[in-house]
Formats: sequence, structure tokens, C-alpha cells
Amino acid sequence: MKRSMLCVTALMTAMALTACSKNAAETEAATTAATEAATAAETEAATETEASEASAEGEAPVQTEPLLVYLNDFDAVISDMFKESTGYEVEVVVGNGAETMSRIEAESSNPQWDVVWIDSMYDVYNLDLDGQLLTGLEPENASGLTDFAKALVPEDKCFYPTGAHAAGVIVYRTDVYDETTAPRTFEDLTDERFKDQVGMADPGVAAPAYPLAAYFMDTMGMEGGQEYFTTMFENGLKVYPKNPQVVQALAGGEISAAIMQESNAYEMVNSGEPVAIVWPEEGAPASTRVAAICAQTNQPEIAKLFVNFLLDPEIQQELIDLGDEGYFEPSVEGVTMKEDRDPNAKLVAADIVFGAENEGDIKAWFADMSAM
Amino acid sequence: MKNRENIGGSGILLILIILVLLPLVTVLFQVVCPGLELSEFDLGNLALVLDVFKRPLWEKAFINSATLSLATTAIGIIIAGLLANLRVNYDFPFGKLLDIVSWILMIIPSFILAQGWVYFASGNGIAKAWLGISGMNDFLFSFPGLVTVMVLCKYPMAYVAIKAALEWYPAELVHAARMNGASPVRAWLDVQLPLCLPTYFSAAMLIFMDTVGDYGMSSTITAVYSFPTLPYTIYSAICSSPVRFDMAGVLSLYLVVMIVIAMILQHYVMGRKRFDYLGNGTMRTMARKPHGLLSAFINVFTGLFCLVALGVPVGSNFIMSFSDSFSIERFEFTLENYKRVLQPDGELIVGIQHSLSLAVIAALIGIVLGFAVAYILTYSDFRLKKLIDTITLIAMAVPGVVLGIGYIFVWNQKWLQPLGLNLYGKPSILVLAAVASAVPLINRVLVGGMAKVPKELLTASQVQGAGFIHRIRTILLPLLHNSMVSGVLAAFGGSVFNLAITTILYPPNYSTLPVYISDSYNDLNFGYAAAATIVGGACIVTIMLILEFVLNIGNRKRNEYAVNT
Repeated sequence: MKRSMLCVTALMTAMALTACSKNAAETEAATTAATEAATAAETEAATETEASEASAEGEAPVQTEPLLVYLNDFDAVISDMFKESTGYEVEVVVGNGAETMSRIEAESSNPQWDVVWIDSMYDVYNLDLDGQLLTGLEPENASGLTDFAKALVPEDKCFYPTGAHAAGVIVYRTDVYDETTAPRTFEDLTDERFKDQVGMADPGVAAPAYPLAAYFMDTMGMEGGQEYFTTMFENGLKVYPKNPQVVQALAGGEISAAIMQESNAYEMVNSGEPVAIVWPEEGAPASTRVAAICAQTNQPEIAKLFVNFLLDPEIQQELIDLGDEGYFEPSVEGVTMKEDRDPNAKLVAADIVFGAENEGDIKAWFADMSAM
Repeated sequence: MKNRENIGGSGILLILIILVLLPLVTVLFQVVCPGLELSEFDLGNLALVLDVFKRPLWEKAFINSATLSLATTAIGIIIAGLLANLRVNYDFPFGKLLDIVSWILMIIPSFILAQGWVYFASGNGIAKAWLGISGMNDFLFSFPGLVTVMVLCKYPMAYVAIKAALEWYPAELVHAARMNGASPVRAWLDVQLPLCLPTYFSAAMLIFMDTVGDYGMSSTITAVYSFPTLPYTIYSAICSSPVRFDMAGVLSLYLVVMIVIAMILQHYVMGRKRFDYLGNGTMRTMARKPHGLLSAFINVFTGLFCLVALGVPVGSNFIMSFSDSFSIERFEFTLENYKRVLQPDGELIVGIQHSLSLAVIAALIGIVLGFAVAYILTYSDFRLKKLIDTITLIAMAVPGVVLGIGYIFVWNQKWLQPLGLNLYGKPSILVLAAVASAVPLINRVLVGGMAKVPKELLTASQVQGAGFIHRIRTILLPLLHNSMVSGVLAAFGGSVFNLAITTILYPPNYSTLPVYISDSYNDLNFGYAAAATIVGGACIVTIMLILEFVLNIGNRKRNEYAVNT
């Protein structure tokens, strides 16, 4: 019996030690990271020199294992496209934005990923604040960034936008409303005639829904934003976990209007559902897809090639032309958007620092409000 | 003997600690030690535990989960008990159908069933658009509607457990009661029912745990009508950003508290009474043919029940699998979804292969481990067996996503790499997680069966010189045949469709069936996801029916022999 207790105690102690060792490991990792960062800077300089020398000599980085990319879209095509373009192997782990971020967080002591490419800009920026991202990225194709995209690149250049789509456009059922009664602005949705008829995705779960909430809180001020959503909740706003559920509710007649992610809205229209899309004149809050590199990746050169590849106008054009996930505004010049996408579509975004710093509070407030 | 029990018990406890407790503790520990960094250690963070009284979402989630689980358990156990008693005591045409329906419902993940109910009952769903039934919408998105759907989704585990336990009955005691003037109902109430209390409590626990930890139903139905539950809130906390593992830890703690309360309640009601009754006076329950009104009632009741429980959700998915539109209102028949799903080199086939191989391994390891756990709990005097019992129940109730995160913390450590034990990112971690999920279920089914086999049978055999393995092989296994088959099949089916854990843990390029279905749904390919569900489900159910047939060959022969002689 004593022996069994000893076993249990030993295991628990081992676990505590693991926590300690993790801490130690983290400290070590931090030290290593710092050293690595310093070394990286040196190595980078050296590597860049090497790279430039290599490129001068035409040598490419040697790949020992596939580049591991965490993403939430384009999983079916991106590996082949990258291999075709560069010859390097990519493996992907696909998940929704929230699951991917929690996976990254849980791995933080021993990251497995090399690149994250996801439409959760504020979450990725939070990773940077935690020191988990490689900074100072200077991809060659960044010179072609649009003004909108340029403004979103953080000072330390820890990530690059590869496109942005509307986190929320207004969608309404055309068999319930006509041009005269349909909502035209976000403010309209607080009107009595939309009581119990409006739905949106949960900012706490759906990746594109947070930039939407953050935009209101940023532009209206926290109090103003909270007042807006409080009015929406009082008017019977229905919050669904993710956008597919919003689509289902709108298609099924549970609701007759929604604030919905752009590509889902266009898919509804394309499949013949009786809905119409309204791009608010003030602009639709953007959900920006960004690519960033893990600070502890052991193949930074290939990871950088991947980021550069994503900023290639030809690649962005191919992604747009591929299909349903192609409804987005490219981040580089020289790319044509989908024909049926509103040419006057205007995207707006909350300030990166505001969005990242207030993420926890905004999501908690929203969650509590939706429970009341 | 005692020493051997202690060694065995300690071994089992150690395995369960590694599989369940350790991952869970790494998440719970985040409350006082965010990020598992000792520099962040602060007991003051324990104040977070009291946030259930401050944060409206938490308070509501706690109350909602408790009321929903209690209501589902109360109604579910009555339904499961009634169905199991009818099935065991009567031979009726829909009997086998009831078994098959229950098995299918048990293996299909709740998010698919919930999805089926939404297709059926939503504003322009099948009920309204095709059958002209209005009001289903309001009913589904209400507390009574939710409890109804939950009961129909969660009763099967209890049904299977009770049915397996009722295969023997205390004939001598029942005859004695009848000879003393008790009516059949009275004899059942005063003799059979009390002796089966452990089984009923065990079955009720199964429903309670499965309901309180259910995420699929929460995300599909409850979240939609502002009825947040703990699993959904835990998921939000884990998937929030900055990620709040500490909040997930606190919310999981609430679940653990609920389980402990339920166990204390069970212990208080059952006390130290004995419930084993298998002996010379026991007989195998022989089903008899009902006559007249009773026959009509049983057939109509079970037929309607099967139609509603399985026909509605699976039938709705089946209909959607032939549609290329988002809604039933605009249904247009197409075979395109099935063509894509059945492509020989399609991803679905690979997903099914991965899921099947995981499920087979999990079921095999799970049945050995589950049997050992049930044996320790039932027959040993191991002092920490209550802890073992609690761990198995916790594993069942704590949402898979929490265990999944815990698995990353435990198995993604740098120091494990040189030992070759850095399992995160490899398929083997899915096997461990699947075993952890399967063991509680197998254990519950087997404990219910073992409760009626007296220890004296084993002791008598031991006195005659039979060794441990011999005792198990010649006494326990034959008496627990049905329970064992139920346990294996439940573990196999459950592992195939285990979504929550595989979502968070699946290695690169190793998609499983549930992940594949979930991704298709998230890409708005509703019809395609439904077709994948139907094809995947049909494969699994066919395999399970074959397995059940094969595993029961010996048992059937014995039954035929018993009837003929």
C-alpha cells in the first residue's frame, strides 16, 4: 500500500517537477531564445549573408523535415502550391481560429509549428507580445503591399497580412424585406423592426467575429461599443457559435438578417438562397489573415520563403480564383478580386494594439451579455 | 492476496493517473499557476473559483448544466429502465430494432444528432416545410425541447447497461415473493428493483456524466437559444484569446464538484448494502411473447420511440445528404455529395481508415483496462478504489477538449524527446486519448454486470485451487459475456466518432472521420457533411453488427443448448 502511495506521490512530484522544469525549461528556452535571438540576429545576418551568398551562388536552404503550417483555410491547396513553386514540403494542421490558437498556446513550451497563417490578426499579435514570433521579417514581395495592408504591419514586422475579408457584412432575407425595409447600416439593426431577427457569430469562438466586435469598441469607444451591442441584445440579438450556424439559421428562417462573414454571405447568394448582401457605407470590419513565423522554428529560411510566397501577387490571384474561400481583398497590388465581390467594398479595422490588448475584456463582456 | 490486490490496484491507479488525472491536473493547476510557470504561482488566483457568483455567464452555465443534466438523468433513466425491462422480459418484433437503434444512437456523436434535429425543426425545416407541423422550432429551442432531445440522445448507454444487468434474475427470491402472495408488479418493486439498484445508479451516472460534459448538443442547440452550459463555456475559455486555461480549469473544477456530489449522493443512498444475487437461485431471464393489448402497446411504443429517437435526426441528415442547398425549403435532389464522398482516393476513406484503426486499438486496450478497473472496484479491498471510481467518472464528464489540452501539456515536453515519449503530434497520442475516453464507459457497463456476481463464487473456485486467470476465464467472463460485448462495442463505436479530442490532438496529415465531417460542415458543405456522416456511420454500424454477431456466436449456442435441454 505504502508502495502504491509512493508511486502516486512520485508521479505527482514528477508532475510538479515537470512544471518546475518546464519553468526552468522556459527560462532556459527564454535564455536560449534570447541567445538564439541574439544569435539569430547574428545568424540571420550571417544567414542573410549566407543566403545572399547562397542566392548569389544559387544555393537553396536544405529541408530536413516538412514545414509545419497551422492554418484555418486553403488547407486543401496550399501544400501543393508551395511545393510547385519552391520544391519544399509543407504539412498543414487545419482548425478553426480559436482551436488553432489554443493549440499554439498549449504548445508554447515546445512549439511544433513553424508558420501560422490565420485570419486572427489580434491573436497573432498577442503571440508577438509574448515573444513567440520571429520579428524583423523583410519578405521581398512586401514591397507590393497595398496601403491598407501596409498600415497593418506591426513596427517589429512580426507578421504580414496576406489578405483581408469582411468579418461582418449585413445579409438579409429578400423574401422578408425589400429594398425599402432592408437594413443599410449596422445602426439599422437596432431598430424595432429587426427585433429577434438578427444573428451573428460568437466573438469568443469564431475567429472572424472578434475583429467585428473590436471594431465597434475601438471606433465608438468601449462604452459606446458596449452600448451598441447592449441595444442589439435588448433587441433580441442571437449569438451563434460560428458563422456556419448563422448561415444555417438564416437559410432555415430562424432569423431574417445577420452580420455575417463575407465568403459565407457570398456562398449563400451563389447557392441561390433568397438573401442579399449590404456593404455598409461606413465600411465593414475586416478580418485580416496574417502569416507569422514561430520564434523557435528550426527552419526559418524556408518559413520566410513561405511568407514571401503568400505575398506573391500570382499566388494571391490563384487563391482568389480557386473557389469559395477566395472572397477577400488581396494584400498586394496587381491582383484582381472576384467579379461578384462589390467593387466599392470598403474594409475598416480596429487598431492592432487596441484589439490585442482588449481582446480578453471584450470577449468576456460579450460572453456575459449573451448569457443574460 | 491483499498484497496482490494492492499491487494490481496501484498499477491500475497509476495508469488512470497518467491517462486522465495528470492531463486534467495540468489544466486545473493553471488556476494558481498560469502557463504552468512557477514564477506566476499565486494562491490568490483561487478567488477565480468564486467567479461563478460574479460572472453572469458562469453562474448561468453552472445552473443550466446542473438542471439540464438532472432533468435528462431523471427522465432518461425512467425511459432506459422501461425499455430495458420490456426488451429483456418480452420477445417482440421491434426488440432487435430497439437494440440496433440504441447502438447507433450511442456511437453517433451528439453534434450530428443535434444537427439532424435542427434540420428537422428549424423555421423552414422538414417539420414545417414538408410535414406542415408548425411550432417545432419553438419547442426545440426551449428547455423541455432540449431535455427531450438530450434524453433521446443519452438514454442508450443506460439502456445497454441495464439490459446487460437484467439478463439474470433472482428466480428463487421472486418465486418466494409470488408464493407469499405478491403480485408480479409487487415482486418486481420489492425484490428485483432493489437488487438492481447499483445498475440503475450506475446507468443514471452514465446519463448524468454524458449530459453534463456534452459539447456537441451545447454548441448546436443550447448556445443558439441563449442557454449556455459549462462545456460550451469551457470551450469558449480555452478557445478565447488570450487563451484562458485558468478559466477552463475553474469551470472544469465545477464539473468535478458536480461529479463528487453525485457520487456522495449515490454512496449515501446505497450505503453498505449488498446487491449480489447471482447464485443457485438465479436464472437467465427468458423473454416471453406478449399477447393482446400488451403486445400492441409494446410494439407501438417501441416503434414510435425508434422512429423519433433515430428516425428524426438521422433521417434528417439522410435527406440533407441528397441536397445541394443550405435549407430544406430549397431542397434539390442530387447524388453529387455521395459521388464525392465515395471517390476511391477520397479523403473520407482515409479518414475512416484512421478512425477505424484507432478505434480497434482503443477498444482492445480499453476492454482489458476497463475489466481490470471494474474488477478492482467490485471485488478488491484496495483502499484507493473510490479514487479510481472518481477518476473514471471525471474522464467521462470532463469535455474532451480539456483532456486534449492536458495531453498537449503532458506529452509535449522537451525532456520526453530523448526517451522517445514525446507523443504529441503522433497518432499514438490519439490512441491514449481514445483509451482514456473508452475506459469509463466500459468500466460502467462491466461494474453493473459484476455487481450481481457474488465474490463467494470466485472465492469458492479459488478454494478448489483455481488460479486467477482460470477464475476469470471460467466464471466471470461467461457470466459477463453480454456486458463484455456491450463494453467492447461501445468503446469501438465511441472511439470512431470521438471529435473533441481528435480535433485538438490530431497530427499533421492525419485526419480522422469526425474531424473530416466537422471541417466539411464548417466549410458550409452541409449536404456533403451529411453524406459523409451517413457513409461513415453505415460502415461503422455494419462492422459493429458483424462484431456483435461474431462475439455472440458462442453465447447463442449456449442459449440454444439451454433451451433445448
